[in-house]
Parts: sequence; structure tokens; C-alpha cells
Amino acid sequence: MFERGKKDGDTIESQEANRTKSDVSFESVRPKATPRGGDAAVIGRSIQINGDLRGDEDLRIEGDVSGTVELRNSALTIGKEGKVKAGVYAKSIAVDGETKGDLYATERVSVHVNARVQGNIIAPRVSIEEGAHFKGSIEMDSAAIEKALGKTTASGAAKPVARTTASTAGSNKAVPKDAARSTGASVNPPAKTA
Amino acid sequence: MGGLDETERHVVLDLGAASTAMLALLGRARCRVEITDLVHSGGIDQLNKAEPGPELVEAAESLLPGRLPDDAVDLVFCWDLPNYLTLKALSALMNAIGQRARPGALVHALIFYAEPDMQEHPGRFVPTADGELIDCGAKSAMTAAPRYSPEALGNSAGPFVIDRARLLSNGMQEFLFRLDEWA
Repeated sequence: MFERGKKDGDTIESQEANRTKSDVSFESVRPKATPRGGDAAVIGRSIQINGDLRGDEDLRIEGDVSGTVELRNSALTIGKEGKVKAGVYAKSIAVDGETKGDLYATERVSVHVNARVQGNIIAPRVSIEEGAHFKGSIEMDSAAIEKALGKTTASGAAKPVARTTASTAGSNKAVPKDAARSTGASVNPPAKTA
Repeated sequence: MGGLDETERHVVLDLGAASTAMLALLGRARCRVEITDLVHSGGIDQLNKAEPGPELVEAAESLLPGRLPDDAVDLVFCWDLPNYLTLKALSALMNAIGQRARPGALVHALIFYAEPDMQEHPGRFVPTADGELIDCGAKSAMTAAPRYSPEALGNSAGPFVIDRARLLSNGMQEFLFRLDEWA
């Protein structure tokens, strides 16, 4: 009744017609259409997981998860109701809910409006929508990212906190050359030196 | 921002809210960005209300990210936050930043100077691809701007010294503070 990926429209339609009230209750656990995460497995709102979570398919978390989450080749969506207190490793991570811990992604991390994220983000591409609450660091140094992700992958699990790992990747003596000029931004309306 | 050396690693501390535009701009270089949103975290009130002395020092320390001796900060964006801090609070904040910065590090700030009033709440500045800034913050009631003088700011900058100041056409003064090599 709740097979995923069934494409026979008639069959699905007839299932809809025969659906009982108890069937409908499942819809709240696994939404028929997810705006983000597509045909992903879902950890529902009432589910609490404490420990390591690993898998090889897309996942949407609406419940509480503590520990580590590793979806090496898949996308993770932390839904509006989702609360994740864990080191997370995935191909891509989208956050609508709350996370506390480091987020590692080989492709992208997206923090959406009203999301609350506390921790470090290590990913080649990061977007944070206006209205999202973020506290932590974002590693955008490709060398440090590769090192952090490589280390995480090699260990087979997402180990929280890349802070020290990342710090060793770059030059420790980097002082922005002429960065004063770099910050010569003007405030709209375009401002000119008096 | 065009002056950031793309071959070297930079550690940036942003005291405002995170924005994709800012990340996109910094993403052109090899950056690590530490974001500590003092506005939405209540940090401004916390600093202003703390008693000068150990309590204020502790408040400033607790608001900023941990010290990273191997990855010290070399560029800080304060935006217009100094206008909303008392000079004592600003001094404590700059001292705490100095503890996390490498010699030669720069702090960027915008000070209301020409106009007597400013928005009651700090702005939300978003850079454009052209290197300009747009204030995307919600409009709020006006309040008197402290209009800190360069001298007052210099005396409240902890280990930093004023490297450059210029008056912008919108009446704000843009300051760059540099961490003294010998601090």
C-alpha cells in the first residue's frame, strides 16, 4: 500500500479511493509530496533516534536525531519539524529545521529561511537564506574542505568539528595583502569618497 | 573585496547575519568565515548591559567564537554595530577580537557621522557583485546617533589602530582598524 516509486497511475488512484482513515494517518508521517527531498525516506515527527544513522538513499528528517548521520551518496533534508544534534555527512544537506553539530557535504549545504543552525559547515557550496539563524563557521577553502571531507570519508563516519582539521590546511601566515582596499565597499546608494 | 588574495587562506569574522551574497563574495577567495550574529543573538544588549570589568570582558569573550591560534582571524566585518555599542562595550569587543586576530588584521566598520539620527536597529548589509553594500534591514524608528569621533573610536579600539577613514556620500564614515603588529 505504501510502496515507493510505484508509477502505475490507475493502481494508485484505486488505492486512493479505497483508503481508510488509518491510511490517511500515514500521510502525516510520510508526506505524499515533499517540496525538498523528493522521494526520500522519512523519519517522522514522533520518531527519536539516538545513535549512528547510515544509509544510501535520500532521507528527510522531521523527528529528533542525536548522534551521527552519514548518507555518503545521498541527499539529506532536515524538515521544519526536524531537530538534529549530530555530525552530519551527506552529498547535499538542506536545512529547514534545527541542527546542532557540524555539517559536511561533498556538494552543497542550503540553510533555508527560519532554519536554526549552530555548528560548522564544510562544503564547496553554501547558501543561507535571509531569515535563517546561523552561528558557526563556514569553510570555503577548497584545500581545507578536501582535507576535512577526505578525513571524514576515510574514517567511515562523520566526526564532528572540523575546526582544527581545517586550520592546518592553509598558510598560518596569511595576512590579507592590501585588504584595506578590498573592503572599500560603499553603502547604497552608491557612495563616493567625499 | 577584490583585493583578497585568492592564493592565500583568509579567516573572516562576520559580526552580522549570514547572507548568501556575502558568502558568494568571500567564496571567490580561500576563506573560512566565522559568523557571530551579534544583532539577533542579543549580543549588543549583553555587551551594553555588562558591568565594566570582568563581567564585560567575559561577555565579549562568550559572544565570539573560540580562539584559534593556528587559524587566527585576519578580516572582521562589524558593519554599523559600533554605533549601537557604548564605547566601553566597543573597547571590550575590540580587545576580544584582538585576541583572535593575527598581526595586521583589519576590522571594517561604518559609523554614522554626518546625520544626527540613525535607525533604532542595526542594518543588514548585503554586498552586491560590484562591491557596493545595500542595507536590507527592516526600517525602524529613528534614534540619536552617537556620532563617535575618530579620536573616541581610536581610544576604544583596544589593540587596533585606525588605518583608514573616509566619509561616504551617504553621510557614514567608513573605518578600517588594523591590529598593531606589536600588539
